[in-house]
Amino acid sequence: MPKAIKHLQAVVREIDEPRPGVKRLVLADQDGWRLPAFRPGAHIDLHLANGLVRTYSLCNDPADCRRYVVAVKREEAGRGGSRHIHDELHAGEVIGVSVPRSGLEFSPAGMNIFVAGGIGVTPFVSAILALEREGKTNYELHWASMGHPSLIDMLEPAVKGGRVHLYNTLEVSPPDIKSLLGPLGEDAKAFCCGPTGMLDAFESAVAEWSESRKHVERFTAPKLVPTLNAQPYSVVLAKSGREMEVRPEVGLLATLDAMDADISVSCAGGICGACRTRWTEGPPIHHDRVLSAEERAHEVIVCVAECAGARLVLDL
Amino acid sequence: MLTAATHQQQFGDRETVPAWTGVVRHLHITPRAFLPMESFDELTLVPGKGIEGDRYMIGRESGFYSHKPEEGRQITLFEIETLEALARDAKIQMLPEEHRRNVTVQGVPLNHLVGRQLWVGETLLEATRLSTPCRHIEEILGKAVFDPLINRSGLNCRILKGGVIRVGDAVRGA
Repeated sequence: MPKAIKHLQAVVREIDEPRPGVKRLVLADQDGWRLPAFRPGAHIDLHLANGLVRTYSLCNDPADCRRYVVAVKREEAGRGGSRHIHDELHAGEVIGVSVPRSGLEFSPAGMNIFVAGGIGVTPFVSAILALEREGKTNYELHWASMGHPSLIDMLEPAVKGGRVHLYNTLEVSPPDIKSLLGPLGEDAKAFCCGPTGMLDAFESAVAEWSESRKHVERFTAPKLVPTLNAQPYSVVLAKSGREMEVRPEVGLLATLDAMDADISVSCAGGICGACRTRWTEGPPIHHDRVLSAEERAHEVIVCVAECAGARLVLDL
Repeated sequence: MLTAATHQQQFGDRETVPAWTGVVRHLHITPRAFLPMESFDELTLVPGKGIEGDRYMIGRESGFYSHKPEEGRQITLFEIETLEALARDAKIQMLPEEHRRNVTVQGVPLNHLVGRQLWVGETLLEATRLSTPCRHIEEILGKAVFDPLINRSGLNCRILKGGVIRVGDAVRGA
């Protein structure tokens, strides 16, 4: 059965290597259609052919919605995503791409200090391109890199304007974050993305700052918010006998999708009834707005349901 | 005295003469799920199939969760009045391309047309069912529009007579 579409399909238009060990991908719609808009500093998931899903910051100008540009450093000791991109992915291939999410909120009047280590500069590249396009110069980038910085060609106006401070750590020490941030006023904001040591130093330097004035970029997907105290349970498809654990942060619908369960889903919000399914063991926790009490005794709207028991057996 | 004849002359026959006439304000399609809707001045409707170039054209469906083709969803309509109500009542600015329906109309009581036929310009549609909002739109937009759009999320239609529809075309009951 064809699976529900969960992400857009993008073609890899170009791949280049701005410095050894860093690949830059240009992704686009196969017919040149506009892609979903994104905010400065937003990131996307790449769904790679080997089944891995990896998150990367978009590093082109958000005003350019005909393409997504990401830069990927090869991590030999990583979990395989960057090695796959470096070794297996070629221009012309089509891969799945999520809708962009998150982004950076700048201080409109105060200074915005971006602190980056190596490839950690990527979220700040799109941010700086957006600021430059708007004629805003109330920012500085402090960028530590071992050797030649990888994406410097994308920041030419900012470099010429003196707003980019490079630290080649083969020759000089990385920036002293505390002294960088010390003299700033209350309306300043600071952002950091880089290796663990840099993030630790940053967090120490801004420990007294309010949360709204600091931003640490970590590449983790936002967690779904399950019902308070929700417990894992098993969902069983009675006709095939297949069974899978439903973890609260994943939810029933995504679990059924992973099991290739034959259900129609439309609203995904518990109102249209397209996914109503008979259940025989549970009981389900009903969150829909369509079933009567009588119907709930034997049917469930699976797109929003949970389970109060250890097993939810569905007539699928 | 108001006779049946004079009544019909003054107020029209409710069974055959609708009390409304609307207009097409915006036209949008997108070829694939998740991509932004783009605006066009005119679209070509293919009877029994869908809109040329749109993701829900029968035979080439690639819409979100649309792996089961639905004949009654060849074209979708949405009221511009709903966008105005969202701005006024919920303080949510939703643009015509953001509701992800194809035709934004003004002055057309979509919720009352299920089972009826309507002319849109030179084309004839049959209203099959009301659209429901979906969480997917909330995810794409980052705007909490699911609840405000319940019961006013547009109309799904089948295309009975094809042709070209244009912004500014009249919409009327058949």
